[in-house]
Amino acid sequence: MANDKTNCVVNRSPRFSFLSEDQKQTIFHGMLKVLQDTGANVHHEKAREIFKKHGCRMDGIRVYIPPNLVRQALQSVPLMTTIFDWEGNPRIYVEENRSYFGPGPTLVYFRDPYTMERRKCLRKDATTVARVCDALPHIGFVEGLVTISDVPRGTDDVFEFADMIQNTTTPIMAWAYHRGGARDIHRIGCIMAGGEEAFKKKPNYILYSEPISPLVSDFHAIDKLMYCAEHGIPQDYSPCAIGGGTVPATHAGQLVVALSESMVGVVLSQLINPGTCIILGGVQSILDMRRGIYSYGAPELNVLSGGLTEMARYCGLPMFGTAGCTDTKVMEIQSGIEAALQIHTSMLTGANFVHDCGYTESGKTGDIFQTVMDDEIISMARIIEDGIEVNEETLAVDVIDNVGSGGHYLYEDHTMKWFLKHWRPTLMDRQSYEDWDKAGRQTMQDRIIRKTRDILENYEGPISRVPEEVKKDIQKVIDGAVERVERDGL
Amino acid sequence: MSEKLGKIADGLLHGKIKEVAELTQELLDEGMDPEEILQKGLFAGMDVVGKKFRDCEMFIPEVLRSAKAMHAAMEKLRPVLSEESSSKAGTVVMATVQGDLHDIGKNLAGMMMEGAGFNVIDMGIDRKTEDIVAMVKDKKPQILGLSALLTTTMPKMGEVINALKEAGIRDQVKVIVGGAPVTDDFALEIGADAYAPNASIGTEKALELVKG
Repeated sequence: MANDKTNCVVNRSPRFSFLSEDQKQTIFHGMLKVLQDTGANVHHEKAREIFKKHGCRMDGIRVYIPPNLVRQALQSVPLMTTIFDWEGNPRIYVEENRSYFGPGPTLVYFRDPYTMERRKCLRKDATTVARVCDALPHIGFVEGLVTISDVPRGTDDVFEFADMIQNTTTPIMAWAYHRGGARDIHRIGCIMAGGEEAFKKKPNYILYSEPISPLVSDFHAIDKLMYCAEHGIPQDYSPCAIGGGTVPATHAGQLVVALSESMVGVVLSQLINPGTCIILGGVQSILDMRRGIYSYGAPELNVLSGGLTEMARYCGLPMFGTAGCTDTKVMEIQSGIEAALQIHTSMLTGANFVHDCGYTESGKTGDIFQTVMDDEIISMARIIEDGIEVNEETLAVDVIDNVGSGGHYLYEDHTMKWFLKHWRPTLMDRQSYEDWDKAGRQTMQDRIIRKTRDILENYEGPISRVPEEVKKDIQKVIDGAVERVERDGL
Repeated sequence: MSEKLGKIADGLLHGKIKEVAELTQELLDEGMDPEEILQKGLFAGMDVVGKKFRDCEMFIPEVLRSAKAMHAAMEKLRPVLSEESSSKAGTVVMATVQGDLHDIGKNLAGMMMEGAGFNVIDMGIDRKTEDIVAMVKDKKPQILGLSALLTTTMPKMGEVINALKEAGIRDQVKVIVGGAPVTDDFALEIGADAYAPNASIGTEKALELVKG
């Protein structure tokens, strides 16, 4: 009925935005001005040569990028990219307004899911994260949450990826120290895909690198970016901008600098390989001026991530957002509040890869319990994002007429069909007091721990589907990585 | 004259850089003992700043502004102060180790240490081990602050400590290490004297270490 109306506008989902078109344009122009007049340091001679060849003004390691080069790059970035699992199924559509959530990379500590102690990260933790994420239906991509400490230093990037990709079919956002690690990770990605050609058709991971805020690209970050561009590997080039520390304390100023930092990578990637997939974004939050920490729970993180998401969309680029993280040390009310606000805002703004689900202690400790809680919050946020469907069937005027005044809808076929769309909790408590009491008065924390351990003890993941030959080939890459670091150093 | 000392302390608290420097110069011109200006004006003010920061009544940018005012006043005082008095706490050399370009944490720690009365020599980022050792030899600081943000550059901090040993000057300087991936265990493992999880704890540890 409603859909048949002439010139009818339908909201498929809620409308939400921080910035108007005019404001976005103003911020975009601010970025162009910074890139043109302030420039950015690029600690990579070959990269600088490419910039220079394409008309950038240079001053030592400083590169000044003219607006036309930015515009040209934004014209060649792909409209959409699909990321597949290693079994060949499409899993992530990198395009406007599609949000996928996942953990974040390289934390110093990991909360042991059994002893509950905060301790150094171990190799087995990466597998834990991969297996749990594989079992969580609302986690769309995986990062390791760990910096593995019990393998040779400088090879943990390769160990982590090798272990994780075999323990989840959810695509991985990987990271590497240097080009060497990136190359080994790519070898593993190709082995899992069934060869280099197969990977080109169906890329199964994304590589993440990070410029240093403010406006610095160090050698290895740019070197990895160049490697990915050369090999058509989807990649993410996004900074951790610290409001009031490495960037202005004003949100608009932060967006200008953060965008500029990523744009250096976007331009270079498109000069090397026009059409290669690149994602911008990163962690956008503020320096807590009392404690001196980079806050992972500040409400400003939501505003900044949302604003940058809108700027990314304005540029035609996918967004690497942040949510599901917290400043707390252990699971408690604060971690739930911070994660819920972040996930809800990210969902409403439509960031593409929303990372850091499972980040606690302001980005210092990985906590898989937080990731499990986040999974539930994501499912709730999706219901909100799903909005209100309005058509003849959902309007249900005839059902309303049939039931009339008084009575109930529990017998109706319409109810039978549509109640299935209602959200169902897996962790949230809706028991009666008596049932809750009888079941041992469990809190949210208790239920999260039980669910996590249940996954760890009863869910195997896809590891048994990885062919023996593939496992052997991956082991060869790992051995090669250890030799490489022994030979070349860190 | 003592009224002006109070104004210096108050000016420090409110980060009035120009005013604090001018008042210091005026008192010097009026013939006050520089040691008295230092103790009763500047250190008195910075003690309040330190207390207010610990009590969460002042914020980092305000503390850094106070440190800058302190620095401006010291520029006036240093030429007429004895070597010993010109750095209440001592000298700190700070550097981000080779291969690492990160510096926000190091900068913050350096500025806070300056505010606590240290004479801070910041060598900047990506500094070679031999350069850091040469600086320690040259400036003879009480504290060496080393920073690294990358797991791959962290071992360079151990390398610096070993190079200090080889140069025979390890026992002349206390080494504090910091940076996001650095842990207490790591600091112990490489033989550092202290680990600073953040700038203010780093400053506290530096003060403890110089006290001995």
